[in-house]
Amino acid sequence: MNSNPRKTMISETGEETLRLIAGLSAPAGLEERVHQALRAAPHKGRVLAWPERFRTKTVRESNWMRTAAAAAIVFVVVGGGWGVYSHVEHGQAGKVIVMPARVPGGGGFSGAGAMRTPQTLPGPTVREHGTKGTREQETQPAKKPSGPKKSQSARPAVSRPAASQAAARPAVSQ
Amino acid sequence: MEISTSADHEETRRSAEDAAISALVDQYAAALYRVAYSVLRNPSDAEDAVQEAFLRVLRHRHMLAEVRDHRVWLIRIVWNIVLDRKRRAKTRPETDDVVELTRVLPSTGLSQEAMAAAAEHHAHVLACVEQLPAKEREVLWLSAFEELSSVEIAAVLGITESSVRSRLFRARNLMARLLDHERNLR
Repeated sequence: MNSNPRKTMISETGEETLRLIAGLSAPAGLEERVHQALRAAPHKGRVLAWPERFRTKTVRESNWMRTAAAAAIVFVVVGGGWGVYSHVEHGQAGKVIVMPARVPGGGGFSGAGAMRTPQTLPGPTVREHGTKGTREQETQPAKKPSGPKKSQSARPAVSRPAASQAAARPAVSQ
Repeated sequence: MEISTSADHEETRRSAEDAAISALVDQYAAALYRVAYSVLRNPSDAEDAVQEAFLRVLRHRHMLAEVRDHRVWLIRIVWNIVLDRKRRAKTRPETDDVVELTRVLPSTGLSQEAMAAAAEHHAHVLACVEQLPAKEREVLWLSAFEELSSVEIAAVLGITESSVRSRLFRARNLMARLLDHERNLR
């Protein structure tokens, strides 16, 4: 008989199975295989290093070769940049389009620098005051308006509410 | 010489980190395997997960000095790997469990029939566990490891201890209901 309530609960909820699986031992040689995997992994992938066969004692203990290599890289980069810079031609004037000087005209439209301008017909001339047409206009009577037009000015000056107020106001006599 | 001194320091630091990782492998590889196996239930997959976990440690070995509890940190790493793998490999046939459990579970003093029945029962329990919601299921899996306290489970899952307790409570209730339902159907 199972008297332990916790044990009963564990068996009822299936945790016994999970504990059984959790308690299984790891396969033999697991650690060794992990060690091998770690050894095979690239340790120094992020840092450039000399190949193993070139890694002599001199290379490992002194850094002058590393410095020389860095200097060579800098030299190549700077030299390449200078080579590109020196091949570019400087000071060459660009092609400039010279605009013709604007000829000051006597007003009106300009020729817009055209080589030849077409001849135009003589335009209308402005008549001076005192000509016939002007005189006729002055002697003709003013035209009457065709019909009565309702406008704001045609309305009575006193508005209705104001008039009614005046009428309603009692006369005060002293 | 200044440069060679710093290089020596680097070399020394690396060898110390390598030694530390090697010690971690010796100490925790088996525990990590058990965690991985309890979820994946496939020996080779579990071993791959352990190896991947230690490779991740190797990549982030500069963090080793900052980690307070290496065991929980490692379990957390392998836990994430395992869940990721499980999410990706959902095509595993369910009958694998019975065969695998018959092979791996202890069979001292049991007849063939009893062993087969036990394996079937365990497989049935595991199938019920799979029906649980993910949050409850994960807590239940980790609670099966007696060496992990609720605080450590909380650290592995990145939740509070009270959440662990409430999820475990819900998981147990759900499991009892599921198993009872299955028992009534039989």
